[in-house]
Amino acid sequence: MDMAAHHTEVGLSKRKRQLKWSNVNVQKVVVTLTFLFVPLFLLVLFTYLPFFKMVQFSFYDMKYIGARKFVGLQNYVDVFTRDDCFNALKLSLYYMVGSVVQLALALLFATILSFNPKGGNFFRGALYFPSLVCGIAVGFIFKYFYTHGFVLDSILGLLGIPEDMLPFWLKDIRINNWVLVASSIWRYMGQNMVLFIGAIASVDKTQYEAAAIDGANAWHRFRYIILPSIRTIVVLNMILAISGSLSVFEIPYVITDGGFGTSTYFVLMDKLAHANQKVGLASAMAVVLLVLILLVSAVQKLAEKKLDSGIRTSKRRARK
Amino acid sequence: MKHRILALVLAGMLTAAATACGSTNGKTSKNADAKPTVAYKDMQVGETATDLKADLKILTNRTDLVDSDFQDYISEFNAMYPNITITYEGITDYDTDATTRLSSGDWGDICCIPTTVDKSELSNYFEKIGDYGDFKDTYEFADKQMFNNEVYGIPTMGNVSGVVYNKAVFEKAGITELPTDPETFLADLKLIQEKTDAIPLYTNYAAGWTLTAWDAYISGGATGDADFKNNKLVHSKDPFAKHDDMTGPFAVYDTLYEAVKQGLTEEDPTTTDWEGCKAQINEGNIGCMVLGSWAVPQMQAGGPNADDIAYMPFPISVDGKQYASASADYCYGVNVNSTSEEKTAAMLYIKWLTESSGFAKTQGGIPIVKGDAYPDSLESFQSITLVTDNPAPAGEEDLFGKINNDSEISLDSDSTHVASIIEAAIGGNQTMEEIADEWNAAWTSAQEKNGVTPE
Amino acid sequence: MKQGHVFLKKLPKQILQYAILLLGAFCALVPIVSCVTTAFKNDEEYRTTSVMTLPESWLNFENFKVAWEKADMGKAFLNSFLILVCVLVGSTMISAMLAYVLNRFQFRGNHLIRNLFMVAALIPGIATQVTVYQIMTVLHLVNTLYGYIFLMLGTDVIAIYIFLQFFENLPKTLDEAAILDGCSYFGVFFRILLPLLKPAIVTSAILKGVGTYNEYYMANLYLQDKNLYQVVSTSLYTFTGPMGSQYQYICAGVIITMIPILIIFLFCQKQIYSGMAMGAVKE
Repeated sequence: MDMAAHHTEVGLSKRKRQLKWSNVNVQKVVVTLTFLFVPLFLLVLFTYLPFFKMVQFSFYDMKYIGARKFVGLQNYVDVFTRDDCFNALKLSLYYMVGSVVQLALALLFATILSFNPKGGNFFRGALYFPSLVCGIAVGFIFKYFYTHGFVLDSILGLLGIPEDMLPFWLKDIRINNWVLVASSIWRYMGQNMVLFIGAIASVDKTQYEAAAIDGANAWHRFRYIILPSIRTIVVLNMILAISGSLSVFEIPYVITDGGFGTSTYFVLMDKLAHANQKVGLASAMAVVLLVLILLVSAVQKLAEKKLDSGIRTSKRRARK
Repeated sequence: MKHRILALVLAGMLTAAATACGSTNGKTSKNADAKPTVAYKDMQVGETATDLKADLKILTNRTDLVDSDFQDYISEFNAMYPNITITYEGITDYDTDATTRLSSGDWGDICCIPTTVDKSELSNYFEKIGDYGDFKDTYEFADKQMFNNEVYGIPTMGNVSGVVYNKAVFEKAGITELPTDPETFLADLKLIQEKTDAIPLYTNYAAGWTLTAWDAYISGGATGDADFKNNKLVHSKDPFAKHDDMTGPFAVYDTLYEAVKQGLTEEDPTTTDWEGCKAQINEGNIGCMVLGSWAVPQMQAGGPNADDIAYMPFPISVDGKQYASASADYCYGVNVNSTSEEKTAAMLYIKWLTESSGFAKTQGGIPIVKGDAYPDSLESFQSITLVTDNPAPAGEEDLFGKINNDSEISLDSDSTHVASIIEAAIGGNQTMEEIADEWNAAWTSAQEKNGVTPE
Repeated sequence: MKQGHVFLKKLPKQILQYAILLLGAFCALVPIVSCVTTAFKNDEEYRTTSVMTLPESWLNFENFKVAWEKADMGKAFLNSFLILVCVLVGSTMISAMLAYVLNRFQFRGNHLIRNLFMVAALIPGIATQVTVYQIMTVLHLVNTLYGYIFLMLGTDVIAIYIFLQFFENLPKTLDEAAILDGCSYFGVFFRILLPLLKPAIVTSAILKGVGTYNEYYMANLYLQDKNLYQVVSTSLYTFTGPMGSQYQYICAGVIITMIPILIIFLFCQKQIYSGMAMGAVKE
């Protein structure tokens, strides 16, 4: 504010300058450059420069400290031939299935809550609050929750299931990944739900009344009015969830630290980079994953366009 | 036009950032040539430079002692050197985190040198403390962090590798003689399970770092050969393969595998509790744990029954004889980027810790000064031959580290490989032989990568 | 009469609806509630009673005291607070300025910059930390509060989008009128538009604030000296070491760190939801 005032004063005293400063285009350029400088600088420094460096590292055999050696594509060959990388990617499938469940639940709750049931505020808050909790806290909460004889086992005990019939939730490799997925759903479902509530709020209310007169039930209302209107946001979230499934980190990192076959791609990458000091290999893993994520996003862009044009044509048809 | 300006700005930022990254670490590296005012070997703690002023920061893996014993050491040391302030910082996941911090150069003045640092890299991070000749006759294990006969680290203490156990539990189970081979050991664990309520063997899986203890048994203890670790392990083919007489690395890891598989360990390893295990073994709820001798005093202090806690050699015999490896714990290194005063102060403190603090004895370890008394807990080792690993020959100092790291087995530094044994034994998806095959394959390819032809 | 009829007809559906909601709320709250009950139990109770039994006294704050001291939470909250203030002020200004330029001025490269930020949002932060660490090292930003603050400023894409959305809805005639009155573009931004942005600022600040408060990975990596630079999330993590599975303390620690978030949430629900809704109806 002061700066602007200062500039104008200086400008008034010197005609030439005043002329220049009052020139709207010059001003625009100055404002543009000053306002852009910091955010772009930070973006370049902490996102793009590291990214390019990472691509560079991925061609080297190197540790954090000590000499590095150029190895060409060897790290990439390793990423694609190592069993553990492949297994870690396979784990993403668990989380993808989980994200479908998560979105379905989010839609269910969002639809119910959109019709203002009594206590709706409480329910919305209760379901949303977990997504505000710190990841480390979530880790502890669920470690405690799943420990043998603790929370979950006690609840199931109250339901009459004896403790010795229950599995070890985090140790049993048949179920432990599902158990972690459940924690992930617990943590992120609320966020989707609130987004969906926002989207449903923008649906034209008169359609419900019209449908009710036609004798439509709740399912019809959801299937034929709500879902089509919020299709874009659902698809968007679906694709975000898929790329999110590829980069799961915090939940397994805190709860099991990747033990008993729960090491997701990023947990593995973190271990290789820090415990094994294989910086080059970890960089190559990161690059591969980024390419995957960019691919998924490209698919999203395409899908969005398709949907948009689809909606437009169907509307046009409807008008006819 | 505007587009061009934008492009220029962007390009400018990139080059600015890139040159910033090309420049060397300026803040502290200029001190790299600063030398301590007195050489370590000539220092007389309490007499040398008592008016020295310095602030020291020490990174330690002993998080349990930061607020207790170390504070006592500081005040004792400050009685002689009132102007040296010392602060400790404990790090739980020590090797990994300390390595990350070393690379930033600005981590403090003294640290326990992480096992991940190559010997040839030592001089880039740590001040030379002396020549091997200065210490050979007076200090144990002075060759642990050594390159070209230059010593960069003074060991905090030495460890003997055995098994910490509860005598009362063993007696209750009717075990009169300590086991000397894996088979008897497993049978004894079974006895404990049948006759007592104690968990026969507690793995401490969840803490992670505790599992690397197992790696300390595979060399001297399992082979009786002082050349095994630094010379034979790096050159031999398939070092993890099973030996028929049940000696060598396989026998050690297989003991763990079998114990877990036969259900002789805790029900749920994912929820083991390191702090809690001290009270549990003390009170007789745990039969034994495979940990270095440093663990003994901690288990004794865990509850009222200090006398029940004892230490025995790992149950492997080579030709009917039991060995135990004795090796250096972490070594203190001094930051090469500290100032001359800080380096002097750091070395004085290290010298005092090593020679006068009594640290090794209270912590159940072998004292570093030759001739100092051993702690009582090591008495059962009197009939046992202690084996200290010989250093690698010149030119091969880094070979073990490189192969170890490239193979990702990461003996001594990362626990994932030991954790995988426990996981496989529980999941039943892999036999110990299959795990050993995997490790051998990884070891072989790491050997080849480093120009070693396995024999 | 008719009313009653409709009510009856709707009843089973209503019951089903509430059953679903109750079950959902139960699942969402049980893990947290079990932590709360455990945090109030004394040693004896913790060891002997089932997780489901309530503590004897709801005034037993002993565990909270132990957790607070052991994890050095006083310092952690102070550091987190400092970081939060700086990051919120900084990132709000940066994002608002950027959004202003991108929304109001049509210049070549505008689209490119938007895309640069879009793509940046897709790169998971953890992936590039290996190299960010090196950059931070060279700039001597490792192990300093301002270094961490600097880093946290640079990674905010959500705020930019919220502001972009908001600017869309502020008519350009506002700017033009001000310019005609002799106001400079700086003046337009700081005097006219920024005050109008208040709702967007509140929303983005809450989201960014919660994110910063909860952030663990980078805080752990860059604020290395835990004696000096403990923040709330890293202090909570210290429970994995010395307290292993003494859950009465861990739970107390978890609850302590959750309280500020809960307060913010209770007071600012509306802003959070409306901000999220803004994201939902984009386009």
